Order: sequence, then structure tokens, then C-alpha cells
Amino acid sequence: MKFPLSITYWSHFVSVAMFSLGLLGFLLRKNTIVVLMCIELMLNAVNLLLIETSMRTNTPEGIIMVVFVVTVAAAEVAVGLGIVLNLYRMKGTVNLDHFKSLRG
Amino acid sequence: MREGLFIAFSLFTIAAASGVVLSRNPVYSAFSLILSFFGLSGLYLLWGTTFMAMIQILIYTGAIVVLFVFVVMLLNLQVNKESSPNFLIVGISGAAVWFFSLIILRVLTQAIPNTLPAIPTDQIRTISKLLFTRYLWPFEVLSLFLLVMIIAIFAITRTQEIPHGGEKQ
Amino acid sequence: MDWMDLIVTAVKTIVIYLGMVQVVPIMLIVERRGAALIQDRPGPNRVGPFGLFQPIADVIKMMMKEVAVPKQVNKALYILGPFLVLFPASLVIAALPFGDFFTLFDKNYILQVANIDVGILYILAIGSLGIYGILFGGWASNNKFSLIGAMRSSSQIISYEIPLGLAACSAVLWYGTFSLREMVTGQEGTILSVLPNWGIFYQPLGFLLFFVAAFAETNRLPFDLPESEAELVAGFHTEYGPMDFGTFFMAEYMNMATMSGLMVSIYFGGWHLPWISDATLLQWLGSRNLVALIQVLTAVTKIAFFMLVFVWVRWTIPRFRFDQLMRLAWKNLIPLGLINLVITALVLYFKGAA
Repeated sequence: MKFPLSITYWSHFVSVAMFSLGLLGFLLRKNTIVVLMCIELMLNAVNLLLIETSMRTNTPEGIIMVVFVVTVAAAEVAVGLGIVLNLYRMKGTVNLDHFKSLRG
Repeated sequence: MREGLFIAFSLFTIAAASGVVLSRNPVYSAFSLILSFFGLSGLYLLWGTTFMAMIQILIYTGAIVVLFVFVVMLLNLQVNKESSPNFLIVGISGAAVWFFSLIILRVLTQAIPNTLPAIPTDQIRTISKLLFTRYLWPFEVLSLFLLVMIIAIFAITRTQEIPHGGEKQ
Repeated sequence: MDWMDLIVTAVKTIVIYLGMVQVVPIMLIVERRGAALIQDRPGPNRVGPFGLFQPIADVIKMMMKEVAVPKQVNKALYILGPFLVLFPASLVIAALPFGDFFTLFDKNYILQVANIDVGILYILAIGSLGIYGILFGGWASNNKFSLIGAMRSSSQIISYEIPLGLAACSAVLWYGTFSLREMVTGQEGTILSVLPNWGIFYQPLGFLLFFVAAFAETNRLPFDLPESEAELVAGFHTEYGPMDFGTFFMAEYMNMATMSGLMVSIYFGGWHLPWISDATLLQWLGSRNLVALIQVLTAVTKIAFFMLVFVWVRWTIPRFRFDQLMRLAWKNLIPLGLINLVITALVLYFKGAA
């Protein structure tokens, strides 16, 4: 079963769109949990690009990298949410506007 | 046929991703995240990696987003006016970032052949062999990393009770 | 793909799906009569002969009762909850094998909706989506008891997914394939002409893990705390009306049927009769389609047996407390699962080296 060439271009489209949406959300949203979700979006965009490259050039290394990225993303989300829980315990809110004490 | 499905899943994924960024209620954001992961899984299936599609659903939607939903429900967050971003800013900057990134990506991946290779049949076997022979070192380091993360999570979210009553974090 | 293939696949999908849905009314009556039998009382015997039309009465009651949507719920997620539970419960049926193949107009069609090459992974992945219906349903109800019930249920499900996955992992290592159909075809024949070549004789610890985890995954007693009648009003479906309650229960019974189907396929030989191989059956009966019928009947009988075991255990053993339940998963079953994996790998290594 062969691939048509256009799905490469569509994959690039989706990957870059997801990455830019994730980047914008990361910079503009004020709710810490949604910011973490946008980080996940960025990681998934990179996963899509890695898998597309790996399947296009028929090398398995891309898929192995995706396995590692998924694992690290899972661990990072868990620790990030632990930190968010602590922030909530300290201030009663997770709105990023209220965490300004390190500002100079 | 396959291209049609690919276009449908692509648009679905992008719509769900914008739902994550633009939604006011964090529970709706989590739900849109689930939908976007479904779309991505469909894209992986259309590329021929059934294994990665199932891994995506199993780990991302089945565990990571569950964690997000748990935390959102535990914290019982209120939906207020300041939590949704300015749609115009997001739209314009999103389009600009997308445009420039797509150009950069196209320039960097110029050597695209005219036809793409067929789907390999014993993909899982190849990946597993490589994981345990050539990439054994990162694999083992990753398992140690996960153990350290588990201990770190316990250390971060622990609350200790002091004898006079009340809690110390 | 020509039209005949498409039509046969569509009809096959509808038949298999409706067949699995029939599990729900059958279990409605079997559960209550089984409970009554174990508790030494008659059980429902008014509606029809031996109470066999009781499910019809139940369904009519559910549809006719007043549906009162409370004012304080989050409408979108409240309505979405039951669908989110039913959706994965229906999807996983696609990977279960019910027979080898049947012949129609000189073409062979397998008795399975799709021979997915990562079958077990598909079932684990889609099965883990059942959490969302419970979580969103419990949260949208805007009721602290529902939320506690939903949290308990989902943490129980994700905790017991790990021993389930480890047992499935050992089975995958042993059979060398992820596909359920190839696992069943690998269980043909006998061991030394004495025992049937079934998975349970090669993976007894794995079967034990899978069995216990299957009870926890489907929220069945003894892991019943999230929907226990005495503890949390009614758990996560407190605020739901009758038809939604029926949907949640339908999803639970279909999950039970899927878990039974998985246990049968991996550990009990799937569609094979114990000592009679398919070739001898073909000799006796002559027609391929009759052999396919016998295979489907065998598979369904085995699944029915496991459903009876589910009912039996429910009314025999008392309920676990939540911390006992969690301790069992994390401190007992996961180490056992890992030991099982290591033993399987060692046995395979020495078998391969010999």
C-alpha cells in the first residue's frame, strides 16, 4: 500500500498549526492548568512531525523518539500538576496573574 | 479516499486544538484536548502506524488527560471573565506564527521524494528490537527517570500533620 | 473492495453488535434470579414463565418514568455522560473473535468485526476511555457525593488497568502477537494429548491477575464501592434519571461481556472445543459453515459461563473497602504482574535457546 504525497503536506500543516496554537495558548492563557495543556499540544505536534518523517523515510528511529517523548511528557505533566496543586494550596487560585512575587 | 479521510481528520484536530486554547471553562478545554488526541490518533492510523495510534489513545487520552481532569475537578475552579483570551490577538498571532513556521519547515525538509514508501509489516518487532539493543541505554535511563519522577511527586504533594493540629506543607 | 465484501462486513458488524447488546436484558434476569438462588429466595417470577419477561418490564419502567433534569447541573456534560460511557463499551466489541471463518459465495469472511493487528492494545486503549463518562457525569451533577463516587471509581479503574495491562503483556510475549485472532489460533490442539492447548495452562498467574483486574475494571463486586447502595447514595449516577441509569448499566454489562470475551480468547481457547480440533469437526460435519456455527456456539457458551461466574462472585463475597482495594492493586497485583512478566520472558528464552 503506497502513500499519496499530499498527506506529507497536510501533516506539516496540522503539526505547525497545532504547535502555533499551543504556543499562543501557553503565552496568553492565565489558567495554569490550561497552560500545561497547551504544552501537551506542542509536544503532540512534534510527535506528529516525527512520525511523519519516520514513515516517509522508512526508518524506525522516529517512532522510538516518539515513545520517549510520550513517556517524558507523562512524567512532566504529573510533576507539573503536583506543583499546580501546591500553588492552589498557597494562594487559593491558579490564575497566573496572582503569582508575581518573583517579579523584580 | 485516504486523502479525504486525512483532510477530515486534520481539520478536526485543528478545530479541537483551537477549542483547547480558546475555551473559557477548563473542563471544556480538557474535553477538546481529548478530541484533538483522537484526531491525532486517526492521523497516525492513516500513516500506517497502528501501534503508535493505540499508544497515543492509551497513554495520552487514557492517562494524561485523566490526570488533568482529576486536578480540574479537585480544585473546583470557577469560570470567570478574565480566563478567556482576546480572540483577535490569538487569531492574528497564530496565523503569523503558523505561516512563518510552515515556510521554515518546508525549507528544512526539501528532499521529499515523489512517492512515499509502503508501510512496513513487522514494525513493532523492529521497534522492540531496536529499543532493547541499540537504544537500551536511553530506555533504562528513562525507567530510572520515571522512578525519580514518582518520588518527586510524592515529595511535592505531601502534607504533613503536626501534633498541634493543622497541616504543614 | 467490492460491494459484496462491504455488505457482508456491514451485516456482520450489526449482527455481532446486536448480539452483544442482547447480553443486557439476559443479564438483567440472570442476575436477579442468580442472586435469589444464592440467597435462597424465589426472585422475580411474576412476569412471564419463570419471570423470563422481567427485562421487558424493567425497560418499560425505565422508559416511562419521569425524567427530571436538575436545575444546577452543567447541561452539556450531563447529557454527554452516558454517551461517553456507552461509546467505548460498544467500540471494543470490534476486536473480539467469535469463530474462524465462514464461506459465502466462495469467499471466506472471518467471524470478527475486524482482525486488528494490535487487537489487545486496541481493547486496552478504548476500554480506558470508559473513565470519562463516569468523571464527566459525576462532575456535571454538581453534587459532592457524585463527585466522590466518580473520583473513587476512576481511580479504581486506572489503578487496576496496570495489572490488566501487565497480564496482557505477558500473554502478548507468550503468543508473540498482539492480534486476538492469532492468539486463539495458537491455542489449537492439545498438550501431550492430555490437556487442551489453552492459555490458562501456560499462564496461570496471568489469568488470576486478569480475572481480579476484570472485576475491578467493570466496577463489579467485590470492587463495588463507587456504586455501592449503602455508602454513597447511589455513587456517581445519583442525579441521573431512569434512562441514563439504564445506559450506565448497559455499558457496565457490555464491559463485563467484553472482559469475559477477552478472558475466553486469551486463556480458554476462544472458539476451540476442548479436545476436538477443527479438522476433525470439518470431517464430521462436511460444511465449513456448520463448523463456523459450532465455533460461535462454543465461544458464546464460554462467555456465558464467565458471566455466570461474575454473578456468582458478586453475591458471594463482601465488598472491599477503598484503601484495601487500592492496596491490593498497587502493592500486591502489580508486583505479581511484573513477576509473571519476568517468568514468561525467562521461559521463552530457555525454550528458544533449547
